[in-house]
Amino acid sequence: MLVQCTMDLLFYYRSLGLSLMIENFPAGDIAALVYLWNPLTIITCLGYSTSPIENLMIVLSLYGACRRLVRLAAFGWVMASHLSLYPVILIIPLVLLIGSGLDTPPRKLFLQPKHSDGYKKTSFSWRRVVLFFLWASAWALYVLLLCGISLKEYSGLGEMFKRTYGFILSVEDLSPNIGVLWYFFAEVFDFFRDFFLIVFHINILFMVLPLAIRLHHRPCFLAFVYIAISSILKSYPSVGDSALYLGLLGLFVNALADMQFSFFLFSGYLGTLLLSPVMNNLWIWRGTGNANFYFATAMAYACFQIILVVESVSSMLNHDRALKKGATTVAKKVQ
Amino acid sequence: MASTPETEGQKPKHRPIVRIGIFIIAHSFIVSVVCCTAGVLALLLLPVLAKKTYVSENALMPGSAIPMITDQDVSGANNFINELTSLNSKSQSLNIEIPRLIALHMANLGGEVSYHMFQNQPNKFHPLHFFTSTDTEANNVNQTCESYATNTVGIIRAPRGDGKESIVLVTPYNPVNLSPNETLSLGIAYSVFSLLTQVSWLAKDIIWLAADSQHGQYNSVAAWLKDYHTPSFGGFGKLHDDECHISNDIIEMEVSDTLRRAGTMAAALVIKVANTGEAGEQDALNIYAEASNGQMPNLDLINVVSYLAVHGQGLRVQVDKLVSLLDSTWLKFIGEVFETVGKIARSVNPQWKFGISVKEYVEGSATLVSSLYNQALGVPTGSHGAFRDYQVDAITMEISPKLFSNSKGRQTELLFRGGRLVEGVIRSVNNLLEKFHQSFFLYLLTSSNKFVSVGVYMIAFLLLVAPLPVLAASLFSDTIKSYVKSEKNQPFKSWRWLYPTKTVFLVHLWGAIISLLPYFIYQIPDSQPTSRLLIWASLSLFILIVLGSFFRARSAEWALLKSVTVSSAFIGLCLMSVINFATAEIGALLLVPMCLMTKPWRVAGKVQSALNLVLVIIGFPGATFFVVKSVLGFENGSSLVEFWYWVESLWAWNSATYIYICMVHLPCWILCIYILLHPC
Repeated sequence: MLVQCTMDLLFYYRSLGLSLMIENFPAGDIAALVYLWNPLTIITCLGYSTSPIENLMIVLSLYGACRRLVRLAAFGWVMASHLSLYPVILIIPLVLLIGSGLDTPPRKLFLQPKHSDGYKKTSFSWRRVVLFFLWASAWALYVLLLCGISLKEYSGLGEMFKRTYGFILSVEDLSPNIGVLWYFFAEVFDFFRDFFLIVFHINILFMVLPLAIRLHHRPCFLAFVYIAISSILKSYPSVGDSALYLGLLGLFVNALADMQFSFFLFSGYLGTLLLSPVMNNLWIWRGTGNANFYFATAMAYACFQIILVVESVSSMLNHDRALKKGATTVAKKVQ
Repeated sequence: MASTPETEGQKPKHRPIVRIGIFIIAHSFIVSVVCCTAGVLALLLLPVLAKKTYVSENALMPGSAIPMITDQDVSGANNFINELTSLNSKSQSLNIEIPRLIALHMANLGGEVSYHMFQNQPNKFHPLHFFTSTDTEANNVNQTCESYATNTVGIIRAPRGDGKESIVLVTPYNPVNLSPNETLSLGIAYSVFSLLTQVSWLAKDIIWLAADSQHGQYNSVAAWLKDYHTPSFGGFGKLHDDECHISNDIIEMEVSDTLRRAGTMAAALVIKVANTGEAGEQDALNIYAEASNGQMPNLDLINVVSYLAVHGQGLRVQVDKLVSLLDSTWLKFIGEVFETVGKIARSVNPQWKFGISVKEYVEGSATLVSSLYNQALGVPTGSHGAFRDYQVDAITMEISPKLFSNSKGRQTELLFRGGRLVEGVIRSVNNLLEKFHQSFFLYLLTSSNKFVSVGVYMIAFLLLVAPLPVLAASLFSDTIKSYVKSEKNQPFKSWRWLYPTKTVFLVHLWGAIISLLPYFIYQIPDSQPTSRLLIWASLSLFILIVLGSFFRARSAEWALLKSVTVSSAFIGLCLMSVINFATAEIGALLLVPMCLMTKPWRVAGKVQSALNLVLVIIGFPGATFFVVKSVLGFENGSSLVEFWYWVESLWAWNSATYIYICMVHLPCWILCIYILLHPC
């Protein structure tokens, strides 16, 4: 548990570095406070889970990319992907961050004809990106070498891939968790199992490209959305993943100043997270419930997470539109 | 959530679901009034909506076989009772003699006998008991042999069974003070046991637990169940002192030292005999079914017992009811109203069978109130409650003969009746291939053969609770609109609910702290209940004042505070309804009107403020306790002491009602008072 606390403190210092000190609030402080005092983080630490270590690696990679420290970003990304498979999709925001720095403006946003003070479009630095990939492959080879050496008695790397990535991808263990995959895969016929595995994993992958196209000018926010989506749809989610993206939400507190339904989402999160252990008790200990009760709370939790993602993306886009119009207040649009 | 966009000219169209939501929120007052009255009306209608019970599991087939109990069994039981009575009158160390006698008879009938010795574990309050099942470690106090109690366990192995399942008969008795009723119940169990050693239709093992209840009936059964379900790996049986063993000096009896097991339990029956003291026309059977936290056994078990008792033995089956309500005039008035409505409905369309007679309605309501109260307390109504923790369906059957006399003929008749009833129930349960699962687990009884299932009573609760989120949303949107209108131009309008949330969180934290206080109060030695109660109250007030200094910082708008309070009340009530529905229903009846109507007294009119004050006074759990007790006519002892003992029983039995009162009801009550006195 001491390890988890150290990881959390490191997260705090890193996110301070990530702070986007614009407008009113120190977003880095808020993000760090939200992460550290989130009951989900505390429960993750009490449960001796290794999620804080994964969270640390993800934040390390984001921090390195924001400060354009290519080696650090590559290290964080390789370690995060090694520990759990899903941070692989963060390659896109990391490349965008390394190439063009924080908050690349969209090409048409600030190129106004009346700006005649020699505004230079920021250029995309391909050199750093290539350097990033080189360092990433170097770190990956090094990690795999170390793993190979330490696993020599245990039949090597192939077995490791089968048991780590294969386990995540093939969803063998169907113990109930707070995600939505276990219930489905308990019912699916063996003949269709591979097909549905592919469908569920592509569910995350097919959202990568459209989001990248729409939000490429805000790579940090893109990373947040990717993390949120992968923590909803991954095969073995836990509250540690939710703790990470709720903490990262604090970074965009100035842009998301007018997020609608925030109170509704807060109550929904609170209610679902309190109801989940009660339903588990009703099912497993009392025997008067069944798996449907517990899965209903998992579905409700996924619903609230999706509403959070949708609302945050739409208020970020509204914020951009307002910036474009030069308005000082954000107009609330109706979807 | 509509606003006027600057660029678009036309009014934007919402999705239909958002439109419905906006419509409901705009008319929140009417919706609240309609839903609340509908909820209370549905609750009053429940005895009318009760359905007749029916046996759901086809395999049970109660009463399809002729009882096989013979005169021989009953005469053996009579001899057994005589021996017990004579032993009781002359011997000294009854602690050991009576279990030995019972074991001797069990062994003579052909069962496997074993003793189970246990120590009394006093119910101490520990905060973690609610959330974990902490093993009560053996007390460090050195206890002598007298503190051990001995359960005698006899097992009949089914000749054709596979030994995987069993049926349990429990007869509690107090060896130190053996009453004639307890000897009768032991006799009934003896007669059934002697029959079952000879029958050929037995497919499950039979366990007869003669539970030594000198330290309490529940404790004896709970201790045996705990040891039964705890696997021990060597050496467990030797924990006790050798001197405390009952020596086997009767050579032909082999009594085992280790715990004998017989597989998972399909059902359990606790048999008791009581004398009600009143002469009725029939013998009566009282059924007690509630286990801890409002859990009930499967309805089929009650149905089987009820059917066999009424149709097989001519007993009158009763369930616990609140006798003082049988005379109340307002209940009779409501019953008459429903009866008239039913008559009108039937005259309009003869097929609508709606409406019951006034007498039935009043009795049904009395039973329903008692059923709700027993479930809401979360305290088991008998030793059958210990079985529910291991997912075994169990009830207590209390046979009360119409005229208690010592005549031999009456005794034999009672033994026959009871024996046939128990045999019939065992024969039915014997047919089961799976655990009880077909019938309901969540129900309320309005009479011994009428019930209300969860699908019906949940509607009453949901109607009562539905105004809460509507009110929260309407208050929230009104506040946001007022910010927009006032053109304060602050960027974080939609996040302003964070300030009242901090207040609400602090109050809930206070609730959690005061729920843990009794643990520390108990450490004070030699204190009276009244002083303990006063210490608890004063400490709570002190901590509240200390915490209050934290949320004096920003006097938030009362509308947002009320919105957050109402949301937290809604979440708390919904959570509680899953854990223990009856507590949530009674809590909703008290909490919802108070939360809906509270407003700062400077804003509301005089009438509304007076009404708010009355509601707030009623909303305090202590006040409700006193009002209910005085209205329903129980007055014994000082009310403060009684209140303390009532609360003590809640946490002694790990009832979730205690957590509900401390962490949902009290914080919402404090917040309503704060809103009422808000200086705006």
